Amino acid sequence: MSISRRKFLGWVSAAGIGSVVGKSALAAGNKHFDGYQESLGVLHDISLCVGCRSCEAACCKVNELPVPDKPFTDTHVLDEERRTTAKAYTVVNKYGVTGKIGPSFRKIQCNHCAEPACSSACFVKAFKKTKTGAVTYDASVCVGCRYCMIACPFEIPAYEYNESFTPRVMKCTMCHPRILKGQLPGCVEVCPMEALTFGKRADLLNIARERIRKYPRKYIDHIYGETEMGGTSWLYLSNVPFSDIGMREDLGVTPAPELTSGALSVVPLVAGLWPVFLMGIYAISKRKEIIFKEELDEAAHSRTKEDI
Amino acid sequence: MKKERYLFRWAGILTISIIALSGTGIYGLSKVLKVSSQPRADVIKIDNMIAFGKLEKAPVEFLHEAHTEALAKKNKDCAACHLTQNKRMFPKFKRIADTDRIEVMDIYHKGCISCHGEMKVAKEKAGPVECEGCHREKIQHLTSRQPIGFDKSLHFRHSEAQENKCELCHHEYDEKAKKLFYVKGKEGTCRYCHKEKTKDNLMSMGLSSHISCIDCHQKNISKSLTTGPVTCSGCHDPAVQQKIKKITPIPRMDRKQPDIVMLKNAPKGIGTDTENTNKMAFVPFDHKAHENYNDTCRVCHHESLKQCNECHALAGMKEGNMVNLEKAMHQVDSTRSCQGCHEAKQNDKNCAGCHVFMGKERVKEDTSCLKCHSAPGVEKKKASNPDDEKTLVKTMLQSRNLVPGTYPENNIPEKVVIKKLSKEYEAVDFPHRKVVNTLVKNIKDNKLAGYFHSQKGSICKGCHHNSPVSTNPPHCGNCHGKPFDAKNPSKPGIIGAYHQQCMGCHKEMGIEKPAGCTECHKKKKN
Repeated sequence: MSISRRKFLGWVSAAGIGSVVGKSALAAGNKHFDGYQESLGVLHDISLCVGCRSCEAACCKVNELPVPDKPFTDTHVLDEERRTTAKAYTVVNKYGVTGKIGPSFRKIQCNHCAEPACSSACFVKAFKKTKTGAVTYDASVCVGCRYCMIACPFEIPAYEYNESFTPRVMKCTMCHPRILKGQLPGCVEVCPMEALTFGKRADLLNIARERIRKYPRKYIDHIYGETEMGGTSWLYLSNVPFSDIGMREDLGVTPAPELTSGALSVVPLVAGLWPVFLMGIYAISKRKEIIFKEELDEAAHSRTKEDI
Repeated sequence: MKKERYLFRWAGILTISIIALSGTGIYGLSKVLKVSSQPRADVIKIDNMIAFGKLEKAPVEFLHEAHTEALAKKNKDCAACHLTQNKRMFPKFKRIADTDRIEVMDIYHKGCISCHGEMKVAKEKAGPVECEGCHREKIQHLTSRQPIGFDKSLHFRHSEAQENKCELCHHEYDEKAKKLFYVKGKEGTCRYCHKEKTKDNLMSMGLSSHISCIDCHQKNISKSLTTGPVTCSGCHDPAVQQKIKKITPIPRMDRKQPDIVMLKNAPKGIGTDTENTNKMAFVPFDHKAHENYNDTCRVCHHESLKQCNECHALAGMKEGNMVNLEKAMHQVDSTRSCQGCHEAKQNDKNCAGCHVFMGKERVKEDTSCLKCHSAPGVEKKKASNPDDEKTLVKTMLQSRNLVPGTYPENNIPEKVVIKKLSKEYEAVDFPHRKVVNTLVKNIKDNKLAGYFHSQKGSICKGCHHNSPVSTNPPHCGNCHGKPFDAKNPSKPGIIGAYHQQCMGCHKEMGIEKPAGCTECHKKKKN
């Protein structure tokens, strides 16, 4: 068996790159993170929501958002499916579910992921997962790239397109300032059905599990947000299939940063090694030329010798 | 030259990957797209060859009624395709049994292609003669075929028409003589023997029912008698099934079943049960009444019509799949068990309003057990002979109070003013007595509900939960305080409690009014 010089070099370099890349990807990958121990959250019991839009009104008030043209008491707004906007951190949507009497309602807002996609996509660290559980936004560092809007699997962040000079990304803050003051989030405080429960995420999971156990015929045996995208601070219980009320069931359980950290961690390596690699190739080709020249000289020299 | 080879290689890789990608995509799509026409009940998938191993070609979609109609135009009847054995027409195509692979394949190929070919020669509209014409990968027709159940109404119409000659359909099988025979009083459902698939000479449910039903209907037609359908859609089209005549009330099906029965441990000689191992009081059971609540006997009994305790003993038996008597009667997620069926009834509109709030507690109240387990227990005086037992069951059933109990009207407040909510809104005038009366009226004719709500005040527990039954129950606000009590996370605050209870109940009962906030409480004028 004969191995050519070229083949051997190929193997060696492949093994070298392989080991370096493999190791570094793992080393850069997130360590296992279950979210902050004491982090807070909200449990939304979809079976209880009656679509009164009180939460929307309260959200508008506590966050000092512009008051919409149609009043919050107008439930005809629900006839159209809406999403969060720069002027509304939260909206309630109505869904007709086959085989169920009456409509179902679902409140939409930022889910405050344990490991948020928006913050991992943000290169100026404008988004931060705080220990309270809220994902906060710092407009002072934001450059307006809107990568967060693309990254968010729930399509939550909105942008102030009509602000010419100081546009901001707008999304629910879980009433972070209020929480720090010991107050409830605006929407939770006002809900007349108590369809929203505020508390430690760990406690909320227990409450949700207990409800499922106690009312097995009523609830779908799943807590949405317990594992979705690595877990979210907002949790959902429902009496109708989540897919019937517009909730994505294809998100998987991996947090968004983990999906990209492996590939992204190689970037500095590639960026660092690329010049070395190119220089090497350049040097090799240069050396070839030198050898060629030397051999040519030598040949010419010997020839002249022979000739003589 | 080198450059050319390089480009060529890249082009090759690209083409292969494009072909691979598009190929899988198009193949996947084509399986669903382009389904023609409305769903029909006569689509038969011919895949009989699967009995002899993997199919070489795609199964054939066969439209039975299209063929019957085409043959009728040529004055041909069923005999054109179906053979007759023992004076009965056989549903398989031109054969009695699936003998071997080549033979069955040849029967189909010869039978189908020759007929299609002849028609083609005669320049008539004919079916395909080439392989791909019949063996198509794509689904061509959607099927709406729905199995037809032989419910009690249909059974009665048949037994009436046949003058109660049960032996015309029901039979037993003699293993030794290899013959069918009839035993009076042992009639059971067909499914007891006839299973999903044919095994040896025991025909599948599908095969045997098609032989029996169609053959009998066919013969009646030849005698010009009114009879049942003989076409696929006649039995299997969901729309046609809706139109089948229903008898009301359906006279009782007679198979010497008891009117009343005492549910108890397994009789002597079955399982390891003895009267000493039976600690719970026996349950008197109104068998006759329950027959009316269900469409078939199979709803409770499995395929066989044996007594429950012949297979479900106290300790569980192999015959009963080790499901013991307790489970057989109480398993909540089973539709066969007493409790499973009774709990499912709580989803009824008239019941769900209250019952939706009642959680499944790990331990049941003693009183709910005693509602059924009311017969004198083993330690007390027991019925010595079957006749005594019957009288005992009868008196016990008769002594049951089936009327929902309430307090006298003057004990039920007519109006309750709910002031707790009067911050943004005015107080609510709650028509308390009207609500109570409606709840009672709704279950007045329901024996099950009546029996379980016969105690005074049990209906009050729908709203006044978690406190002893009384004419003077605690105020809602005595337990429900401010919202989001961290120490009591599952107990809503007073506002949440009212809204959840009132609106939750109205939603479950399908009550649309009052709608919106202001129909219960008026907005305060500032």
